[in-house]
Amino acid sequence: MPSWQDFQPFIVTGLSVGGVYALSGVGMVVLYRATGVLFLALGAVGAMGALIAWQLINQSGVNQYLGFLACIAFSGLLTLAYGMVFGAALSRRGPLINATATLGLALILLGVMDLLWTSSGGQSRAIVLPTDNSGFMISQIQVEWTNVIALGFGLVVTIVTGAFLRFTKLGTAMRAMANDREITATLGVPVRRVEAAAWFGCGILSGIGGLLLADLVALDASTLTFLVLYALAATLVAQLRSIVVAFVAAVVVGLIEEMLTPIQSLTNYRDMTPFVIAIAALLWQNRHATVSLTREGI
Amino acid sequence: METRAPEVTETPSGGPAAGSGRWQLSLSSGDARRAGVILVLVLLVLFLLPSIVSDYYVVTSSQVATYSIVALGLGLLVGRVGMVSLGQAAVLALGAWVSARLLFGTGLPFELVLLLAGLITMVLGTLVGLPALRMRGLYLALITLMLAGAITVVLATTNFPNGGHGFLGYNGSAIHIPAIRRPGIATTDAAFFRYSVVVALIMFALVLAHLRGRPGRAWAAIRQSESSALAAGINTTFYKLWAFALASFITGVAGGLLAGSTRYLYSIDFQTQDSITLLAVVLMGGAYSLWGAVVAALFLQLLPALLNSWGVSADWLTILFGIGVLQVLTTAPRGVVDQLPRDLAKLGRFIGRNVGRTASSKGAS
Repeated sequence: MPSWQDFQPFIVTGLSVGGVYALSGVGMVVLYRATGVLFLALGAVGAMGALIAWQLINQSGVNQYLGFLACIAFSGLLTLAYGMVFGAALSRRGPLINATATLGLALILLGVMDLLWTSSGGQSRAIVLPTDNSGFMISQIQVEWTNVIALGFGLVVTIVTGAFLRFTKLGTAMRAMANDREITATLGVPVRRVEAAAWFGCGILSGIGGLLLADLVALDASTLTFLVLYALAATLVAQLRSIVVAFVAAVVVGLIEEMLTPIQSLTNYRDMTPFVIAIAALLWQNRHATVSLTREGI
Repeated sequence: METRAPEVTETPSGGPAAGSGRWQLSLSSGDARRAGVILVLVLLVLFLLPSIVSDYYVVTSSQVATYSIVALGLGLLVGRVGMVSLGQAAVLALGAWVSARLLFGTGLPFELVLLLAGLITMVLGTLVGLPALRMRGLYLALITLMLAGAITVVLATTNFPNGGHGFLGYNGSAIHIPAIRRPGIATTDAAFFRYSVVVALIMFALVLAHLRGRPGRAWAAIRQSESSALAAGINTTFYKLWAFALASFITGVAGGLLAGSTRYLYSIDFQTQDSITLLAVVLMGGAYSLWGAVVAALFLQLLPALLNSWGVSADWLTILFGIGVLQVLTTAPRGVVDQLPRDLAKLGRFIGRNVGRTASSKGAS
């Protein structure tokens, strides 16, 4: 069993990646509540944004902040466009079909990314954030500002989103739509516009998440695309409902995964963390469920 | 009214009976014709194909046969019972692992290994399916995706058997890795291709027998409305579990075929993404028809091989599959298989009408 000292650096990384998963998780929950779509292409959108930023900064010599902005703008606009076209077309088709359709988008983006930024030939890319090389020490643990930003962003986004949903007009409209889309529409809420806001917001969060994860984990299309499963695990723990629970679950997923790294017997299985947590959560939540009587097939 | 009355009374006595008799007759003759066409196709594929295509495509064709079984299993779940599984590629990996372990560790005949691999995968799949059946549509898809992810991680750590000792049968320091053995009657690529096609045919027949029998009727009822099925006295849990078991069984057998056709298995070849791609091609091919499974397998195995030999990147396929999923879900709610025959029938009626009109106008002139 490793000593406490061995765990310390992994706590820092665990908290920071957990913060980013929380960011994505909050985006997923808000979008699901407002539109009924579980956006499984979130990771792919963020990954493509990060690769575009890398291309602009490293190949075209664009200012890095402009590159980061391009990543976030691309993610927001692409997600919005998807929502306006396919989200609207499938709005009456139930959550399963909507989630499956977002897998279609993920496949398209994966293909495009592999085509444009091939990973064969051992090319490695990296996003370096300006906060990477500066930091501070907490009792002999090196903490980079990027780590702080990652966790801080997750926390801030959770709080701000919570306040937004609670106190603003648009937030109230989103909550109303989560309860009943039809009644909300009859009350005169511009449903399409509220949905568009949710799509755009979720896209922005996926762009920020993509940038941070590209820095903290790796700038690789496939890795970043499937990191969405970590955020998904957190949202499933939160029953696709509570953003606070999603935040806590995401941080726990990040922490557990990283803290398994120094334990030799479990280190190879640490990638199972989100899957095991999600499966356990789903089984626990459905422990009293009887066989479903509604059909939600394709 | 008087002129109508005899028609009305006549219809129940003779109409439907005669009608259904004709319908049955035409169906059975249609069935015979269809069976004849399939037989000719199968014979052509079995004996002509290996001699006219290169070795590369013979191996690819074996994979097509194998993956048509996998697609059949997923199509059964998605199309017949209305359960979406995002973990079928992991089930295939399990089948391949069990087969490889048995083929290395025992001297059992290949056929018996296939059967055992199917049965063991079936037990595992059913164990997984039992708690998962409590989930509704989206949650069932998600829990199977999560299970597939977990299985992929475990396989990446344990690796596939390569002739080593112990339960896992993996020897990390092996310099010479022996090939997975094939059945004595099918050691060459061409012979193994024929073997795969025959096994695939047996699996298709097995599924067809289920669909034509009591389980098929139960699944159809469940797909229409689970509450009505329950009200009609169908044990819905049992039949859903049966579907899971059958799909796992045939996918396990396909895993055995995969082990025999590739002869070397590496965990890197089994990714979580594969389950998603598999669902994509099954939806594109058509989850409601047995032919859809063959089309899906062609998409999944033949297209990459063709693109490879044309020097086109396989990434285009990933894009195509993504577009395919969106297309099927938005414009063809019940899949291509539902849309295509309807469009073809419309076309047929259109042609028939026009030809008929031309013929009658010719006759009149």
